[in-house]
Amino acid sequence: MIEFKINGRAVSVDADPQTPLLWAIRDEIGLTGTKFGCGIGMCGACTVHVGGRATRSCITLLEDVAGTEITTIEGLDAEANHPVQEAWRNLRVPQCGYCQSGQIMQAAALLQDIPNPSDDDIDAVMTGNLCRCMTYPRIRKAVREAATAMSGAKDNG
Amino acid sequence: MGNKLHSRLTTASGPGDMTRRGFLVSMTAAGVAFGFPRSSVAAMDPAAADGVPITPAGDAFEPTLWYWIDSEGQVNVNIIRAEMGQHVGTAIARILADELEVAWESVHITHVDTAEKWGTMVTGGSWSIWQSWPVYRQAGAAGRTALVEAAAQKWGVDPTTCQARDGAVSDGTNSITYAELVSAGLERSFTEDELKAIPLKPHAELRLVGKDVTALDIANKTDGKAIYGLDAKIDGMVYGVPMLPPTRLGSAVSSVDESGAKGVKGYLQTLTLDDPSGTVPGWVVVLGETLMAAKWASEAIKVTWNAGDTSGVSEDDINERSRQLIADGTTGAILPTETPDTTAAFDGATDVLEAEYSTQTVLHFQLEPVNATVFQNADGIWEIHTGNQWQSLILPTLSAALDTPADKIVMRSYMLGGGFGRRLNGDYTVPAALASKALGGKPVKLVFFREDDAQFDSPRSPSVQKLRMAFDSDNQVVGMEHHAAAGWPTGVLVPSFMPKGVNDEPYDPFAIDGADHWYSVGPHKVRAISNDLANKTFRPGWLRSVGPGWTNFAVESFMDEAAKKVGIDPLDFRLQHLKAEGYNAGSAPNAVGGAGRQANALRRVVEMSGYGAADLPADTAIGIATTFGQSRTMPTWTAGAVQVHVDRNSGRIDVQKIWLAVDCGTVVDPDSALAQCEGAALWGVSMALYEGTTFENGNVSDLNLGTYTPLRMIDTPDMEIAFIDSTEVPVGLGEPGTTVIAPAIANAIHNAVGIRLRHLPMRPQEVLDALKA
Amino acid sequence: MLKRILLGILSVAVIAAVAFAVYTYKPTIDPVNPDQLSEFDPAVVEKGRILAGAGYCATCHTAADGAPYAGNYAMETGFGTIYSTNLTPDVETGIGTYSQAAFRRAMHEGVDREGHHLFPAFPYDHFTKMSDEDVDAIYAYIMSEVAPVSSEQKENELPFPLNLRVLQSGWKLLFADLGRYEADDAHSKEWNRGAYLAEGVAHCGACHTPRNALGAEKSDAQYAGAAIDGWIAPALTSTNPSLVPWSAAEFKSYLESGAAIYHGVAAGPMGEVVHAGVRELPEDDISAMSIYLADKVGAAEDDPAQSEAVLASLRNNRPDAAYRHDLGERLYATACASCHYNAEQIAQGRPDLGINSATNLEDPTNLIHVMLDGVSAPEGIPGVVMPGFRHALNDDELTAIAAYLRDKRAGKPAWPDLSKAVSDIRSQRASVH
Ligand code: FES
Ligand code: FES
Repeated sequence: MIEFKINGRAVSVDADPQTPLLWAIRDEIGLTGTKFGCGIGMCGACTVHVGGRATRSCITLLEDVAGTEITTIEGLDAEANHPVQEAWRNLRVPQCGYCQSGQIMQAAALLQDIPNPSDDDIDAVMTGNLCRCMTYPRIRKAVREAATAMSGAKDNG
Repeated sequence: MGNKLHSRLTTASGPGDMTRRGFLVSMTAAGVAFGFPRSSVAAMDPAAADGVPITPAGDAFEPTLWYWIDSEGQVNVNIIRAEMGQHVGTAIARILADELEVAWESVHITHVDTAEKWGTMVTGGSWSIWQSWPVYRQAGAAGRTALVEAAAQKWGVDPTTCQARDGAVSDGTNSITYAELVSAGLERSFTEDELKAIPLKPHAELRLVGKDVTALDIANKTDGKAIYGLDAKIDGMVYGVPMLPPTRLGSAVSSVDESGAKGVKGYLQTLTLDDPSGTVPGWVVVLGETLMAAKWASEAIKVTWNAGDTSGVSEDDINERSRQLIADGTTGAILPTETPDTTAAFDGATDVLEAEYSTQTVLHFQLEPVNATVFQNADGIWEIHTGNQWQSLILPTLSAALDTPADKIVMRSYMLGGGFGRRLNGDYTVPAALASKALGGKPVKLVFFREDDAQFDSPRSPSVQKLRMAFDSDNQVVGMEHHAAAGWPTGVLVPSFMPKGVNDEPYDPFAIDGADHWYSVGPHKVRAISNDLANKTFRPGWLRSVGPGWTNFAVESFMDEAAKKVGIDPLDFRLQHLKAEGYNAGSAPNAVGGAGRQANALRRVVEMSGYGAADLPADTAIGIATTFGQSRTMPTWTAGAVQVHVDRNSGRIDVQKIWLAVDCGTVVDPDSALAQCEGAALWGVSMALYEGTTFENGNVSDLNLGTYTPLRMIDTPDMEIAFIDSTEVPVGLGEPGTTVIAPAIANAIHNAVGIRLRHLPMRPQEVLDALKA
Repeated sequence: MLKRILLGILSVAVIAAVAFAVYTYKPTIDPVNPDQLSEFDPAVVEKGRILAGAGYCATCHTAADGAPYAGNYAMETGFGTIYSTNLTPDVETGIGTYSQAAFRRAMHEGVDREGHHLFPAFPYDHFTKMSDEDVDAIYAYIMSEVAPVSSEQKENELPFPLNLRVLQSGWKLLFADLGRYEADDAHSKEWNRGAYLAEGVAHCGACHTPRNALGAEKSDAQYAGAAIDGWIAPALTSTNPSLVPWSAAEFKSYLESGAAIYHGVAAGPMGEVVHAGVRELPEDDISAMSIYLADKVGAAEDDPAQSEAVLASLRNNRPDAAYRHDLGERLYATACASCHYNAEQIAQGRPDLGINSATNLEDPTNLIHVMLDGVSAPEGIPGVVMPGFRHALNDDELTAIAAYLRDKRAGKPAWPDLSKAVSDIRSQRASVH
């Protein structure tokens, strides 16, 4: 039994401790918003937050996350209205959508660390997330839009 | 391939087949009949949180099989196309809603499961909008007419004094909603002739087409709710992973030693598949209670195979075979161009330009690896849960594999985590079906890890092309030849789908489209050659734009080479030959304007990019190219310009900016149209510079992102995309953007540093080698 | 913790042992009945709990999957495996019969209740510096809070003559400098407090000081850095290779949180050092240790954020569109940068690999460990993980990334035999599946 919190809910998972977190989340816990793309940490489709930091769940072992707090796309915002999600919808970023849970989780983490990212910053951080539909121009724009929205929200207290 | 399928497939090439299906305009009291029992998630509504489509409230008016309106005025539009990022449901639903005159807020979409009544289900070739346009417009107009007539009758007025708008009919005095009309019940039928006579709205009155509306599938793609094939869940399912044989075809299992897997907790068993359909010879599937149990077990299981005879084949072998076939003038099909016989032209030529172009194998690498979940439900129906682009193609194969009539098999339509043509070939559903069959119909979810997905891909075939151009003593073009050899996806998977050339030989249009260009060059011989070695080494695939991805690289690079040879600017040279005469004049409905519209797109992109005028730094230049998208039967007039900088030290090609001008006729969904072009253009860059694997020992050598390196955020150049205003028939957009990029880059490189690269991808080493030469 | 210790006895020592036979003899101390022990003051017990943590007692006295303090933690010494003793107050198999005096003697002199000399894998050469009061506190904690567990110590797997405990006394005479900590008046009170903790209970030198052929810390090379458990304990002297010198503030952050912005996170054996104990010391004590260690390293107290090393590393970390030209750089850009990239300053939780200790050490071991197996939630920043790439990247790919970081980011000479180091370290921990 490995215990942790996911989207605020305490869970204990009875699976081989070496199971990649991704499959525990998808198949054991039943949250399928987190996707599988490459399995080697190089596409970002499986990105979740562990302890608030973007983490590739496909290469993270279940045993390594005992006691942590995990957030998936389903838990990023209770109403799915995180500024990043809003920007994604406004700019209609998704095409097939398969990479987008990971993109959104990565972008949300990016904006926590770098609230006002330059294009370079966006390139550096988001290059780890592959989008096979190549929605990159819109991702770039949406990250900027979300940054503006978030800093506006902060300024307004 | 049964005859029935054949006839269904061959009529899929144009919009005609959908309109021929009889319209049924009548009152139906019940909900939608799916023709099979629902035991789990029904067909998909990508806008609904759980993916379950709406059911009609009260009675529903179902004027055609494409939609219904319920007693609350909600409209459900049935979509037979796969959603893989084009927001195709939104585009099609809006075509219908526009004619039907309903508010967008009341429109819902359902991606339906397979059933005979839908006819051919295929999503590819950039056909969806083009094929759906006339059908859904007519369907919407029929419903509107029926509703208006019902209202007029109720009020005792002349229907022509009534107007429908926003889901209601009014005559200036009275007004009644569709909901009320449907609740009251209505009955109306149309004959075929009446249907054809129903007037469609004039272009100027289109209220949803061409306007910005919110795509229905987007929200669920931002909160994790969209349901893809990999998310399928069936009670009691077990997981399977494949163990792939050393060759795609012709391998047989000689022994399986599963002793190593016995200790893996959750390991269930290993199946050596028996496949009557011949789709997956020599396959082994390892089953587990969890996916990782199956995976870990598979790593501990030892299988020995008798390999098929392609186990030693390399990319070079395949290309050498192409060269042999090209050199042997008797092979291949000659396309029905205006004057296919070029003998005299070349015999009498003063000068001949000749060049060979080649392209490397490309993987689909759609982000969701292929997968399928299969079981036999309580009613004995086999359910195939997966994302697929060509259900009608794989159903007969599944029928053979399961040894079950096709009407006892249904495919559920999940969202596709990328298609790009990979899921046109539904081969990946077969091993899942066979595994379930071996377990007596128990649900099996077969998951391909990325490496398996790549090895089992139907990649874009490597290609070799030889182009020749004949000139007279005035340096005028008097003839052209294009010989192209590659693996043929259609030849392998749907041979009956192939038209015949003038020499009565069949050809795969997907492997040669583009070579039959709209330039007037005198006699023009286009020869399409099937590479038999490629075809038996792997399953050549349709991959985003397929043949036009390589034919246009050759044609449009060659046009620049020819222009430079005769000392004319490549822009002028092209315009001189885009004459819109004879064979290239174009015809209604799909190609009105012909080469003239292509020339127009080219001029537009030149304007946008400043090609020829811009003052650029050293080793930096713009190159241009123009194509007609996918095929002559459905031309999307496309022109591209790319600015590159070439680093002479490292050989790096820096793509700085891309401009696209596209004339796709009427733009139905402007934002999605733009998105498709953005994605297509970036695919173009990716395949021009960064992608490309090679066959080694019968398999592709790159299996994951460690070595296979598609374009990423940091590689993404600036883009400017313009759509040319048009009220013509809307044509495809998924692929055309890809076709101009590689040649425009090659031409830009030549303009920048004077080297000519004739192989895709264009890697830094080749730049360095060419600079040295 | 001291698995690497060479059980310092060679034939020379055999002779020594005979010569010092008299010295060797230690009497048995009478057993006590734990039931008769008087109540301990809760404040003392709590202090003992914290000190036991700071001394990582549980780490070395708890077997994998075993009960806390029940012993049998296997220590690979290089000469053979020895197993730690049962420290629970179990009367039969633990230290339930130890009186306070017996416990003090063990801690201060390395002799068990029955008078046997203990192997120096038990760092009594450090604990000897601890005050009686602190040792008593640990005793109070163990006797009152640790659950007694019956667990026989496994037979040590040492060859003759190393298995002769009597020989340990010779080692002790040669190398151990027994006696309480003596304050150095040339330094502040805080410095002295830090030294007392670092030299004593925290026994930093046990890992960070190289040892001689007989396994004793080299007194002339205190804190010069050493290998430990297949990792590298970096130098805590001026030879520390960090691009940004360690400062008291960096040490404090590291010892409190498991991470220092300009150096990296506490992973591998150091993960436990921080998380199993040191971070629980009172803030004043951590400050004191930090001041002492910073003095040892010889740190300047400039603001590292403005240091040229940091600014240069940040410049170097800008994304470069030419990243594809080098395999390591490409893999870094696609697999690592999303977490390790920094914008204007280095953020906590985004270790900058240009100045990180792992890339600046003369030995790539620590970097390779982390690339292969990541940093689990209890290590580094608690609750945060870095995934390992063991199953994701092959040796060539990992080698390329490490070489890139070393060359382009740290700007240091290439590590020799890097690819062999990668494959060796990979094979040290066989995969379960
Ligand atoms: S699936 Fe985890 S990074 Fe690709
Ligand atoms: S939207 Fe399809 S992979 Fe990104």
